[in-house]
Amino acid sequence: MPETMPRLLCYARSRCTSVEQIDDQTMRSICRLQDTLTEAVVEILVKLPDLEIIDAQGKFHRTYQDECRNTAEGLKKVIGVRVGPGMLKIIKGLVGEVSECRQLAFMVEECCHGIILAFTKDQLAQAPVEQHQNVEFYRKMIKNNIRLYGRCAAFAPGSSMVEGIEPPTK
Amino acid sequence: MLKYMRKKMISIYRKDQDTLFVHGVLDDDIYSLELDLDISLADLEVLSITGKWNRWTTPECRRSDQFLQEAIGFRDEEGLSQKVHKVIGRKSCRHYANLLLECWHSAREAALAAKWEAAKADRPDLTFEAFLAGKTVSPSEVRAKVTGPRIEVSKGPKPGAKEIKILHEKADGGTLIDLHVHTSPASPCSSASVDALIEEAKSIGLDGICLTDHNYVWSASEVENLRRKHGFLILRGNEITTDQGDILVFGLDNDIKGIVKLNDLREEVERAGGFMIVAHPFRGFAVFGAAQIGLTPEKAMERPMLTLVDAIEVLNAKVTPHENKFAADVAAGLNLPATGGSDAHEVDEVGQYATQFFQEIKNEEDLVAALRSGDYSPVVYRK
Repeated sequence: MPETMPRLLCYARSRCTSVEQIDDQTMRSICRLQDTLTEAVVEILVKLPDLEIIDAQGKFHRTYQDECRNTAEGLKKVIGVRVGPGMLKIIKGLVGEVSECRQLAFMVEECCHGIILAFTKDQLAQAPVEQHQNVEFYRKMIKNNIRLYGRCAAFAPGSSMVEGIEPPTK
Repeated sequence: MLKYMRKKMISIYRKDQDTLFVHGVLDDDIYSLELDLDISLADLEVLSITGKWNRWTTPECRRSDQFLQEAIGFRDEEGLSQKVHKVIGRKSCRHYANLLLECWHSAREAALAAKWEAAKADRPDLTFEAFLAGKTVSPSEVRAKVTGPRIEVSKGPKPGAKEIKILHEKADGGTLIDLHVHTSPASPCSSASVDALIEEAKSIGLDGICLTDHNYVWSASEVENLRRKHGFLILRGNEITTDQGDILVFGLDNDIKGIVKLNDLREEVERAGGFMIVAHPFRGFAVFGAAQIGLTPEKAMERPMLTLVDAIEVLNAKVTPHENKFAADVAAGLNLPATGGSDAHEVDEVGQYATQFFQEIKNEEDLVAALRSGDYSPVVYRK
């Protein structure tokens, strides 16, 4: 196509995940998806302190995939799962047993990530503004949770974030 | 009031007949980043990729940009999601990985819509639904699952809390076994060949290892051959993924695939006379802190899943000392036996933690009997 052609979009997607604490014991995470082909919402309730999914609901208002029209059984499967490491394999496996709707499992995952990131945000809010202290804050975080070492470019050898920190024992 | 919000926006246009241009934005309370990709229409291969940070947490987050180039050549195929998490998520940044997958899923759908548009050239009245009716949109996966009656869960801790005694050296007599190791290729996440791992275990003074590959059952003859070849005690176990997390299972030969309900697994293991240990039960909770979510050992003891296991792994080399201590406190409070295992995925990780049995163990029957006896202690051996 010539460069002078208008660059009209052939596809657009918007996904929004939001988390709120509805009482001392319960958090709600909602993932809303709207794109050229699909419109859907998934909501989970998570109980503290175990971060156990105690309810999950959702609906595909618009979809081209027959397997995504009925979400109830797939969502019922994730009730009881705990939000945390290893959850992705579990969620994909459980939803996949009863539904071929990949988007459904992905939306549950997005809700769960939202819960984790809500806690991460609380923790990061404590990071000092001054750069030296800020670096020390992250170094301490890595030292206290050495599993973070090497988990991303920022925490990999060569980064100032891990200077002076012994890598996890091999 | 909202505690957190993440927005992702993807827009795609046809750059030319063969190429999609994909622009993705991830903007949340913590991060803001963007990706620009050229993706081929034919096989959804990444032809070019650039990233941009708008907001970040650490001053080093932007180091991740250079590793994005490793996605060039990735194409739509089975296992793509895992590949993106492993390569981009680990080497670059998991938020880039998340956005890349979002871009990819969108490109897949954009390609579908483009193919429909192309098909309409010959048949202007072709509806999207009719176009799809002639295509297979999503693959089906067959997963075996364990079935069986549900087991009643008796809630609450067992009476008589006991102290968990953790050893720091091999005891005289008995049998020192690393109860949790992974080998390649049986566990795709491991890079340790079984032969190299056994030789390492021998050289550091362990008395035996237990192969606990993920949802993988070694045959008895394979393991017998390994025992003879290396003159070393090799036992079989299995790390099974359940809806409640990973469980180390001993004395069960069934090849279980997919994710099983913990209750169903319990039923299977009871039928087989086996033994179940919950592996790394509190892995990762230190990332945001137990205090932050209000989790105490006492609260954790109330988890119904802990009434369905026979023991708790309280020393696991893949979790933090704090997470191990937390597990030990829970095991003590519930009066459940405690074990140790390296969870080795590399040769030189074997034996970091192990379990000291105070009797001789020669085979799998001995192992299950010893586990049932409760006469053992977790050991900090090589850490």
